[in-house]
Amino acid sequence: MRKKELKLVVTFHTTADAMAMEKACRETGVPGRLIPVPREISAGCGLAWCAPLAQREHLAGAMAERGIEQENMHECML
Amino acid sequence: MNLSDSKMKLAIAGIVCGLVAVCLAYFGNPANMAFCIACFIRDTAGALGLHSTETVQYARPEIIGLVLGAFIISVVTKEYRSTAGSSPVTRFVLGMILVIGSLVFLGCPLRMIIRMSAGDLNAWVALIGFILGVGTGVIALKKGFSLGRAHLTNRMSGGALPVLMLGILVLALATTLLKSSESGPGSMHAPIILSLIGGLIFGAFAQKSRMCFAGSIRDVILMKNFDLLTIIGSLFVVMLIYNIATGNFTFAFDTPGVIAHSEHLWNILGMYAVGFAAVLAGGCPLRHLILAGQGSSDSAMTVAGMFIGAALAHNLGLAASGTALNAETQEVVAGSVPLNGKIAVIICIVVCFVIGFFNKRSENK
Repeated sequence: MRKKELKLVVTFHTTADAMAMEKACRETGVPGRLIPVPREISAGCGLAWCAPLAQREHLAGAMAERGIEQENMHECML
Repeated sequence: MNLSDSKMKLAIAGIVCGLVAVCLAYFGNPANMAFCIACFIRDTAGALGLHSTETVQYARPEIIGLVLGAFIISVVTKEYRSTAGSSPVTRFVLGMILVIGSLVFLGCPLRMIIRMSAGDLNAWVALIGFILGVGTGVIALKKGFSLGRAHLTNRMSGGALPVLMLGILVLALATTLLKSSESGPGSMHAPIILSLIGGLIFGAFAQKSRMCFAGSIRDVILMKNFDLLTIIGSLFVVMLIYNIATGNFTFAFDTPGVIAHSEHLWNILGMYAVGFAAVLAGGCPLRHLILAGQGSSDSAMTVAGMFIGAALAHNLGLAASGTALNAETQEVVAGSVPLNGKIAVIICIVVCFVIGFFNKRSENK
């Protein structure tokens, strides 16, 4: 079983923003992956972007560059 | 209580919901229709006089219970959030499509799983269409589809649908104003109190586990995530065991008495429309009742669309008929999809494509 570790989880107002985040990260080489929004964060069923903690600045930069609006940024054990 | 932090807990949620469906089927709900959101919304619309098909009119307490169960558990666990403003009229149209497609197939995704567990091969055929529909919706998501963001709004707004549901319950219990079928599927039902409790339990567990039939397949296609599929799988297994144990398992296409038909193309296309619309709207019919219960006015609009779609499906002759046994000749009379229903499904699919590929994220900025 994969060991859980602290990760950065970015949530968005829309699924489209999460998809745009995936595209931006793929194109700029920022590591991470799409995940369902963790249940402890929301009762909704949207998508979130999960990345290593060290990528916080790169993620913020990618979002600013592409005009992607985050809802929130969390640290979760995943 | 977090039901989503392990697959075991998700499986337990599915088992509980499966047991609720088993109880309701055992105590009187129509065969193979233990718990169907589209059929039950159609019955409730009939009870309110929105359509006049006398065999499918009954205020289903399960629908009321689902909304109230999600509302109560979300308030108690402080997850109730009153939100609105994400393309409400488009969501109303998607709600209509969800139910029209379902009534051409004769069941929502939940009933499709229940029918599959009873060996109904028509439902397995329809699953192909449902997966393709969800897949098309995922392509639209990847192309930038968005209905825009919802915003926090007045707390009373999110509570409107639960209050309306409570109103229907009061009318059903305390008056004779609502219509009630004396024959046909609408006349078959478990005792009211049992149906209500079943709906409340199902609604609470669906809210905590985020159960969604379209979402489960969307997550597999998009992220290889099997969490939501675990819930559906365990519900299927519970119903399968029940059907085998009670002799209700019939591995066949033409099964009189289970309210199904064998027009394969239209089973596929009906559920294709449902799968596609569900991804665009952000959930299957069950999920929208739950989201509406936890405060989403956008999902309440989708539910309103489902009620009107159900009424239109019967007023305009869109709904399919089930294969039945002629009582006099004992011959099997094949169920079918009327021409109006076939045209409606084509229109629904075209509308899904227009909504899916002309509502772009960039337009919302």
